[in-house]
Amino acid sequence: MGKKFLCAAALLLVLVSSSFAADWPTKTINIYVTHAAGGDTDYMARQLGAQLEKILGVSVVLSNVTGSNGATCMQQYRNGAKDGYTFIATNTAALNGNEATGMVDFGYNAFEPVAVYGIQSGENIVVKASSPYKTLQDLINASKEKPGTIRLGISMGGGVYIMACVLMNIGKAQFNIIEAGDAANRLTALLGDAIDATSIPYSSAADYIEKGELRSLCTVLSKSPTLLPGQPAASDVIPELKLDTEYALLAPKGTPPEIVKAMNDAVMKACATPEWKKIVNDFSWQDPFYFDVEGSIANLKAQRDLFMSLVPILEIE
Amino acid sequence: MILEGILAVCQPLTILWIAIGVVVGIIFGAIPGLTATMAIVMFLPVTYSMSASQGIAMLMALYIGGISGGLISAILLNIPGTPSSVATCFDGKPMANKGQAGRALGTGVVFSFVGTLIGIAILIVLAPVLCAFALKFQAYEYCALALFSLSMVVALTGTDMPKGLISAVLGALLATVGLAPIDSRPRFTFDLFQLNNGFALVVLLIGLFFAESVRKKQDFTIEENVKMKGAGFTFAEFLAQIPNAIVSALIGVGIGILPGIGGGVSCMISYTVSKNTSKHRELYGTGIMDGVVASETANNATIGGAVIPLLSLGIPGDPATAMLLGGLMIHNVAPGPLIYEKNGAVVYAIFTAMLIAAVFMLLFMLWGMRFFVSVLKIPKNYLLPIVMVLCGIGAIGNANQLFDTYVMVGFGLMAYLMIKAKIPTVPMILGFILGPTFEQNLRRVSQLASSDPFYNHPIFCVLIVATILVIIFSVRANLKDAAREREQELSE
Repeated sequence: MGKKFLCAAALLLVLVSSSFAADWPTKTINIYVTHAAGGDTDYMARQLGAQLEKILGVSVVLSNVTGSNGATCMQQYRNGAKDGYTFIATNTAALNGNEATGMVDFGYNAFEPVAVYGIQSGENIVVKASSPYKTLQDLINASKEKPGTIRLGISMGGGVYIMACVLMNIGKAQFNIIEAGDAANRLTALLGDAIDATSIPYSSAADYIEKGELRSLCTVLSKSPTLLPGQPAASDVIPELKLDTEYALLAPKGTPPEIVKAMNDAVMKACATPEWKKIVNDFSWQDPFYFDVEGSIANLKAQRDLFMSLVPILEIE
Repeated sequence: MILEGILAVCQPLTILWIAIGVVVGIIFGAIPGLTATMAIVMFLPVTYSMSASQGIAMLMALYIGGISGGLISAILLNIPGTPSSVATCFDGKPMANKGQAGRALGTGVVFSFVGTLIGIAILIVLAPVLCAFALKFQAYEYCALALFSLSMVVALTGTDMPKGLISAVLGALLATVGLAPIDSRPRFTFDLFQLNNGFALVVLLIGLFFAESVRKKQDFTIEENVKMKGAGFTFAEFLAQIPNAIVSALIGVGIGILPGIGGGVSCMISYTVSKNTSKHRELYGTGIMDGVVASETANNATIGGAVIPLLSLGIPGDPATAMLLGGLMIHNVAPGPLIYEKNGAVVYAIFTAMLIAAVFMLLFMLWGMRFFVSVLKIPKNYLLPIVMVLCGIGAIGNANQLFDTYVMVGFGLMAYLMIKAKIPTVPMILGFILGPTFEQNLRRVSQLASSDPFYNHPIFCVLIVATILVIIFSVRANLKDAAREREQELSE
């Protein structure tokens, strides 16, 4: 009986899920955004939502469930409704970073990844323009000459923390690590001479660089944004120093693969339009950046593998 | 460029968006639990599709409306509509209880307008100079500033200092729930991921004040004699308040400039300063204009102050301006040292929008006052359940979490017990806001102390001395008040 029952159940499941996919979507799709309105993760998710509405023909409602670098939302919806109307929009630095730093005990495998649909303009390591350091190597060398005198401002737990660990433990730099808060606070601290170097989003630093108050040493992206070419990358100095923040759409674990595929098709269609290219060009100085389901999973895995390989060194003495 | 900015705002559609923003902001501000920040969060995505000047004008209108609307529920219900109006309750509600609700509202509205104007004026004229000053505030200075502001607790505690201090310490302890600053270790979370973020200020606030207003039996009545005439006060009374308003506005702007402190603190500090420098300090809390003026002028002046580092440095001063920063970036206006050169027209558009929003706020609130006061005519046994539901919605709206509603009810019960034990709730709010600022910066200072000793920081030293003086004077004044109370009791 057991075998027959299993077969019947499997058949039923296939039938149900294929019929799911056939008339999906028929009602409002909910996307839960892991970060607050006003930030890049929210902006990208809302732009995507607006495009998906046009393509899928149903309403797409975005709500922000924020806190703990996105962990609150992911915890709440990772076992959410598997009906194909619940999705989570987040960024990969939060998804993989929270797992690597031990804030949560699950990673992208706890979800059905739908799509990686964009990439951030990234953070840059910056110093005051009046300082003598011209490259990341200069800065690291200087810190080795006078250990503990160059103050590197970071925030604990996030991507900047991972950066500091890599600089200290793989690059053998000898900075005086100062906790200086979020990006806005780190900028304040750098301008107010409370720290000597830090990493902040390019978008916050751009005007200060142009005005000649700050100098960018490198981007921490694996390569320069397409519209900001020619910047040195931190990975030229330390190969492990690659912090790519990509935007990802996830579904709760157990969402039927047909629906995941159908949603991914819609995302890919949205990302291929000239309208989308203009949105991401204007907002993140990047060209459209998106993958099919397998490609998205491979992309998530590559970053997770890199981050998890750093776990043994994620400690600053 | 200036003209271009003004013209960008003086379009019928943009002015309509400003008007809508002000009205929505006032509603969000007036409903306990819904704050100016939430209004901005909700409408930020709506502005994604607008032009830069339209979108930003609307966000500014929401901000100004939201901070101003809080006084309505503070005065009529004794529940501050937003954290910025906490101190408005102190004298606003007693005025309403004396049958002067209209006068209290009029005072609040007019001086909110005055405060907004002073804030905007300082923003337009002095922004670059003040930015340099704001950058001098780093870990040491914030640590001392938090201590200085906490020392104001002593002044707010009334005559029973130990109970006031208990309340403040409890507030600071409540704020330790969640991920610790700096190292992100969970504290008192009991493995509930909802607690990782800690408690939200607005949830604590509605819990505390709600219990306080529901508890009072004499409130379950209809207040008949509510009169409304003009703004409710004479021109001579207005002139008499000018010095108080100017001092309060300067305090408001000063706190606004310093990132991370915010309107909730500015109204309480300015109320305390106003009380302690007044010739009739014993009347504060009994329902006098001065208290409402101090609180409402300061919290609205904080708007202009907070916009200074937002525009000139790209650094937000409070949660609401953090949202505005996002709104600006999304419209490809990057606040920072080059904003005047790159987006000068947008900057002047923002100034113009703020001025128009301030005028709309004044007109709408003065016009609406006669309707607001009629809230007092609703029997409290009908009114308070509605307010309670709105509070619950506000708690959910904070982070889309039903959990926060339970927390709100829990805080309500806690507040009930505190009131029974005659422990004041206001110092708790200051402790809750400033505790984390103090802790975070103290921990940063401890990282710095070996390489960068405190005597290199003159502002730190001045603030510490000021803190000690404030404590000494407040303790003396409180002891005097206590002695007078005892004498009064004896003579009765």
